[in-house]
Amino acid sequence: MTLHRPSTLDEALAAAGTPRAGGTDLGERRRAGRHRGPVVDLLGIPDLDDLRIDDGGARLGALVTLDRLATHPELARRYGALTAAVGALATPQVRRMATLGGSLLQATRCWYARAGVSCHRTGGDTCPARDGDHRFHVIFDLGPCAAPHPSTTAMALLVYEATVEVAGGEDRTVAELLGDGTDPTRGDTLGTGELVTGVRLGPTDPGEATAYLRATSRLLAEWPLVECAVRLRLDGGRIAAAAVAAGAVAPIPLRLGAVEARLVDGPPDPDRLEAAAAAAADGAAPLPQTGYKVELLRRTVLATLRRAVGLPD
Amino acid sequence: MIEFDVNGEPVAAPETDETLVEVLRDRLGLCGTKLVCGGGVCGACTVHLDGVPVLACLTPTTAAEGRSVTTIEGVGAPLHPIQRAFAAFDALQCGYCTPGFVMAAIGFYDDWRARHGTKRPPRDEIAAALAGNLCRCGAHEAILAAVAAACADDPAIDEPPVRVDALDKVTGRAVFTTDVRLDGMLEGVVVRSPIAHAHLHGLDLDPARALGAVAVDLRRDDPTLRYVGDPIAAVAAPTRREAEDAAAAIGVHLEARPAALVPGADPPVFPDRRSRKRAANASEGPLRPARWRGNVRGPVATSFPPFVARTRIRRTDPARLHGGTFVTASQTHTPLEPHATVARWEGNRLTVWTSTQAVDAVRTELARHLNLDPSQVRVVAEHVGGGFGSKLSMDDTVLAAVELARIARLPVRVVMDRQEELTVGGHRPAVHLDVALAVDDGHLDAITLDAASETGAAINSPVGAIPFFMYGGAPRSMHDWDLLSHHPPGKPFRGPGGPPSLWAVEQVVDDVALSLGVDPIELRRRWDGNPKRRALYDEARALDLWRERPREPGSGRFRRGVGVAAGNWAYFVDPDARIGLEVREGVLRATSSVQEIGTGTRTVIARALAGEFHGAPIEVVIGDSELPYGPMSAGSRTATSVGPAAVAAAEHLRALAAERLAVDLGGPVVAEVDGIRHAGELLPWPDVLPRLEGLSTQATRPGDAGGFLSPFTMLHTRLGRGSSGAVHVVEVEVDTLLGRIRVVRCWAGISAGRMWSPITARSQVEGAVIQGIGYALYEERVLDPASGRTLTANLEDYRIPGIADVPEIEVSFNEEGWEHVPGGGVGIGEVATLPVAAAIGNAVRAATGWRPRRLPIRPEHVVEGVGR
Repeated sequence: MTLHRPSTLDEALAAAGTPRAGGTDLGERRRAGRHRGPVVDLLGIPDLDDLRIDDGGARLGALVTLDRLATHPELARRYGALTAAVGALATPQVRRMATLGGSLLQATRCWYARAGVSCHRTGGDTCPARDGDHRFHVIFDLGPCAAPHPSTTAMALLVYEATVEVAGGEDRTVAELLGDGTDPTRGDTLGTGELVTGVRLGPTDPGEATAYLRATSRLLAEWPLVECAVRLRLDGGRIAAAAVAAGAVAPIPLRLGAVEARLVDGPPDPDRLEAAAAAAADGAAPLPQTGYKVELLRRTVLATLRRAVGLPD
Repeated sequence: MIEFDVNGEPVAAPETDETLVEVLRDRLGLCGTKLVCGGGVCGACTVHLDGVPVLACLTPTTAAEGRSVTTIEGVGAPLHPIQRAFAAFDALQCGYCTPGFVMAAIGFYDDWRARHGTKRPPRDEIAAALAGNLCRCGAHEAILAAVAAACADDPAIDEPPVRVDALDKVTGRAVFTTDVRLDGMLEGVVVRSPIAHAHLHGLDLDPARALGAVAVDLRRDDPTLRYVGDPIAAVAAPTRREAEDAAAAIGVHLEARPAALVPGADPPVFPDRRSRKRAANASEGPLRPARWRGNVRGPVATSFPPFVARTRIRRTDPARLHGGTFVTASQTHTPLEPHATVARWEGNRLTVWTSTQAVDAVRTELARHLNLDPSQVRVVAEHVGGGFGSKLSMDDTVLAAVELARIARLPVRVVMDRQEELTVGGHRPAVHLDVALAVDDGHLDAITLDAASETGAAINSPVGAIPFFMYGGAPRSMHDWDLLSHHPPGKPFRGPGGPPSLWAVEQVVDDVALSLGVDPIELRRRWDGNPKRRALYDEARALDLWRERPREPGSGRFRRGVGVAAGNWAYFVDPDARIGLEVREGVLRATSSVQEIGTGTRTVIARALAGEFHGAPIEVVIGDSELPYGPMSAGSRTATSVGPAAVAAAEHLRALAAERLAVDLGGPVVAEVDGIRHAGELLPWPDVLPRLEGLSTQATRPGDAGGFLSPFTMLHTRLGRGSSGAVHVVEVEVDTLLGRIRVVRCWAGISAGRMWSPITARSQVEGAVIQGIGYALYEERVLDPASGRTLTANLEDYRIPGIADVPEIEVSFNEEGWEHVPGGGVGIGEVATLPVAAAIGNAVRAATGWRPRRLPIRPEHVVEGVGR
């Protein structure tokens, strides 16, 4: 077992091994025997936990913890969908340890891959969930792997059109970072010798209407069946711009263009929101056991939209 | 080296990828921090890093470098207000999750006090802060109250704790099997079958031995592997990681066989009479004979009078028939302390520390297995981190540790990880139920139940027994079937068979009430012949919760409804239970081999004695097979077995004290509960005990007035007269848009007589309600249909209730009707959980008009069932 402890970014880029930030995902997989081999500990690299925010936008270092994101008042004022989403994920203890970068790059939650069954993710060439129990899997079936992408944070960043800073490679959008969902072996496009160092967010307008919701069986601390983030710019009683994203429904988090198109230029009234949410699952092709997510996605989008514009739950 | 402080002391850890929990538990011996899920879900390993709660199981030591770590051992002197509050409010049961909860709660306390001073925090804020901690016993309601009180400087937090081991548990001092550390001890792991059905052709242990490990074959006499997780071999080495590496090196030569992965389908798991003896017993009762046809075993029929009920149901006009098909999921016990054993041989004497509900039974079983005299085997379980029926017999960890320790000539510890615990640790079988009630003019005419249990590699799932004894004299016929498969064996789980049978029957009774237009409580009162439950019905009907319930389903997004359900449980007692009493250094010391699994057994004994020796200092020493025989914790028998034995011992010791003091003091002496009366003076017990040093006795549990129901004692068990009852009234709120059901309030009425320790009994009932909520709404073991692997092998995918899911719970004990039992009461652990799911089902029906038939009632079922 090798533990690399680089003290500069260059050393980290040169080290061979799996990068580790907060360790909440990698640590679990190593304990369960699902990951072996050298680890590159990133905690000794200075300045990766910087957080800057002003009228021009925000820059969030890759090692900023999720708890810090979720409880940052200025971030909440300007990027409400992000802070609400991050505050709703995992548990208080995990949020204090897990980082922004790790949250974007975490491994799949598929219960087959986590159990070490041979599959695309574990070095095999099949998806046992397809013929097995896939009740928590996708309805937008974009690639051979049927597991949904686990990153709530990435889903929320989609509505802010964030840029991911990559050392050792090109900066890219969140969508580019996560790919198109067709590569069943991984949930991101980061190459060897590349590290995520931070995320840049553009400016927002004061008074944007934002919300985040997840559908779960228990109230807290549960992976979502379906989740949704909404960011609306309202202008004179009209929706001037809309960004709506959904998670837990596809191998990557999705922007729901059809919903956005039905929102823009209309009033934020219940009928308009209902009509827009009805388009949330357009193009979905559920698996035999995920049909329920089609309706649940429409409903979750509706509930999130209503919450964003201040309609009662 | 990586340097940091732990509880103010400098520590250096090697530069490896170890996490804090290994450093704390294995290098520093700070075992208050528990390792449960190993994946950041349960919070049992919560410690503070620079004053902030984090998870020791996932925190790399590198993250602690140059910082300070505080563990439960670092906060207890003097006790933190959170610790005092947990103890005073009885916010704990088995105590295994308690250190983690305390550390998380202290983090919240510090934060809250800094922002709000001594303002009382609201329930939902506490729940949000503690959402990263899981408790399997269900102490949440008291935890919420304790944290609120501590934050508000409520003087109630300084009340002395009732639970006698509360302080050991809130400080992390309580030693569980997983915390036992012996010199030279090796860590053992079990090699398990990766496939559902195979013939084991050969086992090559040499590669493991070449790595310096000790290895044993666990299948010498049975080469057939019958489920994923079936034990094959065991390996021990100085560290768990070395043991895992050695285990991976073992050559396992398997021939895969076709497996029955659909319950009841071929090929047979136990094809012949001889192999059937290897089938595990899914019940805690004796095996009931039944016919085998491949993997279908049954029916075990209980009918009274014979043949009447089924004929009557067949002939009844369909308009007067009520019933339907109901389905339940398999519920995993997942006690937070996993199955774990430490074994040590000294010559031909064996000592075993094991996490068990049955210290004495494990000793007997182990001695028989090893062909030893029971006196050569000692079993110890000082604290047990929950069991719920999964720890009633000699399990894999016992066998592995004992065999490994014998070869290694060193102590060996074997602890299941959470994946093993959730795979083979035990589960309540899933059941398909068909129920039919014939109703004539408001009277119950006949009832039939057909229950098919998915028992895996086990048999004898009892489902029909519970409703058989309810609802008066109507003819009834219950048929139990076992559907076997190449899946892990089912085990008895808290009230075996009760929750699934009531899930069906109590919802059908509700349907009858709806169709007759009768109050569901009134209908039950009419049908139920049990006078003790009738008293509960009267109490329930008078509740505001019931009287002010919405009478029609709602129409908005969030709909509320109130439901009721009842349950009954037989009264079991261990008539052989003994309590030893001795005066030692002025302290009254009670002893028994009985174990404390979180139900408050120590406290029951202490309170029984306190009532007989007012003011005397009392110590209770249990959980050791060398002590006088104590019962197993099963069948709700423990309190009613040890309580009366303790009183009997106390009475005898008082008599002995009077005899001795009559000699010492001269003249007549009378021993009373307040002390010794002599020469017109009362000498209180605290003053008298020092004069009685060494005085000792033992007493057996006295019989009931009028005797027991069963004519003789079998397996230390008697069936007593009378059955206990529960009537639960539950309010739910259904989010019809997103499908989530929230249980808002629960009134739990229990008729089991007088409680030996009302505070801990209340905690146990609250826990029973919370486990019932898990069964109703969240818990479902899922197996891969293609391989038989357990997919829900971690605590994220196997969902137990969180603290935010817990309703306000009110517990009401009806004390009438148990005057024939010494002490006036019987057990409650099982009856209190039986009707919970059914009451929730009825409440969902009341709220939405939709009757759920499948457990758990998940959001997708609500979305599909209710519509918008």
